[in-house]
Amino acid sequence: MVNDKEIISVMRQNTEKGFRLLMASYKKPVYWHIRRLVVSHADAQDAAQETFVRIFRNFHQYNEENSFKAWIFRIATNEALRLLGKQKGDMMLSLDEVTADMLGTKADNHFDSSDAITMKLQKAILHLPAKQQLAFNLRYYDELSYEEIAEVAGSTAASMKVSYNIAKEKIITYMNNND
Amino acid sequence: MDKTFDFEQVGKRLPYNVPDGFFDQLEENVKAKTHLQRLPVREGSEYSKGDAPKAKVITPLHSWRGWGWVSFGAAAAVALFFVVTKNLPISESQTDTFEFVELAYNNLSTEDQEFLMEVYEEDGFINDNNEEDYEKDF
Repeated sequence: MVNDKEIISVMRQNTEKGFRLLMASYKKPVYWHIRRLVVSHADAQDAAQETFVRIFRNFHQYNEENSFKAWIFRIATNEALRLLGKQKGDMMLSLDEVTADMLGTKADNHFDSSDAITMKLQKAILHLPAKQQLAFNLRYYDELSYEEIAEVAGSTAASMKVSYNIAKEKIITYMNNND
Repeated sequence: MDKTFDFEQVGKRLPYNVPDGFFDQLEENVKAKTHLQRLPVREGSEYSKGDAPKAKVITPLHSWRGWGWVSFGAAAAVALFFVVTKNLPISESQTDTFEFVELAYNNLSTEDQEFLMEVYEEDGFINDNNEEDYEKDF
């Protein structure tokens, strides 16, 4: 897999080639990150598409002192929140305004109900407060560092570490107590 | 019986799936939205062998530049029209407006005549007004 430095370098020399590398590395992680937040496939598709369009158009604004991965996931998270906000009637939600109920009622036909334990785990994650949910997803599924998660969430690494550990404990409790 | 959930039971599996070919389609959609589609390669061109062609990024600058040339051309033709007509020797018999315009038009080059006709034919505003005048007259 191509590393971020190489993607950035190629993007600056040849936009099309660089963007192709970026899509190859990030289209799946970005889509699944958004899907875990918005649940519905159609919504995730819209938000993922918009995320990459924004990355392309705003690439010149990316500051190399920050993590490229975190920058991409921050745009993706914002697009997911923007989409949820539109559906709620607002322009954009903050992480604290997203509720588990909003997220948990939107499963469409693109999900596999036969895998009971994975369904239960997602339900447990969707019951978490949004910041804990984000910390858990980005650490557990996307393996971002706490510093990168903090950049995505606009918080501190220490705070995100606490959020992740609390999330993990809550999930274990949920999984043990709900059949 | 005590039970303790272990994350390894699930790993990174998700209960969600996507339609076949979805990720390729996503990439194509993004390319279309960012105007990064690949241009067709002409046989024998420098891109028909070896490296893929560079994408043509259509920015507002390109569009404005195009419209700028069109506007400049139209303005130049109108200016030329007035310069030619101003310098014509006008006799008493040419004072009739239509004859005057016709003479001025005849003094233009074929290219300029064609350009003016194109502008006139494509100008919705002129044509709409003419239609309205026509309706008023009758």
